[in-house]
Amino acid sequence: MKNKKNKSGQEEMIGFALIIILVSVILLIFLAISLNRPKTEIESYEVNSFLQSTLQYTTSCQSSSGAEKYQAIQDIIFECELEDKCANGEDSCKVLNETLDGLLKESWQIGESRPNKGYELIINTDESQILNIKEGNITKSCKESFQTFSKSRTKKNFFINFKACS
Amino acid sequence: MKPKKSQMKIQQMAFMLIAVMVFFALVGLLIAAIGFSGLKEKATALQEKNAMLLVSKLANSPEFSCGEDFKSQENCIDFDKVFILKENINKYKTGNKNFWRVSGIEIIKIYPKNSNFIECNSNNYQDCSKITLISGQGISAENFVSLCRKEFDSEKFISYDKCELGKILVKYEKAQ
Repeated sequence: MKNKKNKSGQEEMIGFALIIILVSVILLIFLAISLNRPKTEIESYEVNSFLQSTLQYTTSCQSSSGAEKYQAIQDIIFECELEDKCANGEDSCKVLNETLDGLLKESWQIGESRPNKGYELIINTDESQILNIKEGNITKSCKESFQTFSKSRTKKNFFINFKACS
Repeated sequence: MKPKKSQMKIQQMAFMLIAVMVFFALVGLLIAAIGFSGLKEKATALQEKNAMLLVSKLANSPEFSCGEDFKSQENCIDFDKVFILKENINKYKTGNKNFWRVSGIEIIKIYPKNSNFIECNSNNYQDCSKITLISGQGISAENFVSLCRKEFDSEKFISYDKCELGKILVKYEKAQ
């Protein structure tokens, strides 16, 4: 009789312990999921507007074919991909690189004491990478924007991706 | 003897139930704490988003936007239009308030960089860095815009669209 009573008490204790273990495991899983949730690369209106405005920026490169108009960044990306030169003989890729570098340096000033710690801009097509500009530290907390545009003549897709990290 | 034993059983059960309840309450509190921890960040992000939307709405309004002259691009401000708007800004007032109901609007050129932080007027129109449409105080929201104007190439005698990078700053009073 005494043995049976003891056994019943033990079963209750084991049951209680099992409940605690089960809830603890569920809690741990929940904690792990919520802590590992990627908090980086938040879509930002500011970064998005920056990309849109950058693509419209007029460079010093004049088109060598047809009307000698000054090319926007978006047009010069097409020229660079074709390895074309500007009307004055300058390399379109060089102009693209220098202009974007200047635009980025003035717009996203980085440093230890500044809110921006680093940035990265990548331009590529379906097949190859055209440009990659990276400055500072790419931390875990980044604002990112991605845009696609295509050239009407060749129907080739171009992708521009920019992230600014704080 | 028998009733005492069952009383003990009931007491045991009651303690067990209390322990389980306390345990689940603690678990619930922990989950709630984790859930609410990102609330402040979310509120800040929402505030930022609203401010950006206000600025973008302003930049894309007919008084500022590039429209068909510059192939109707988004986030593009017609600099010529804004310059004329500055000269006629008093016409956009109703009583004490301006048309946009904001406390300040400024447009700044970012690139190409102009080391002199000069306010634009008819004499330095192409070589200035700032247009203050409405000067005022308040919470500031800013966004990148493309500043486009018609330029004339005197060497080649051609007129072309010149777009530079700028920022539009809107100052507004916080809602009570």
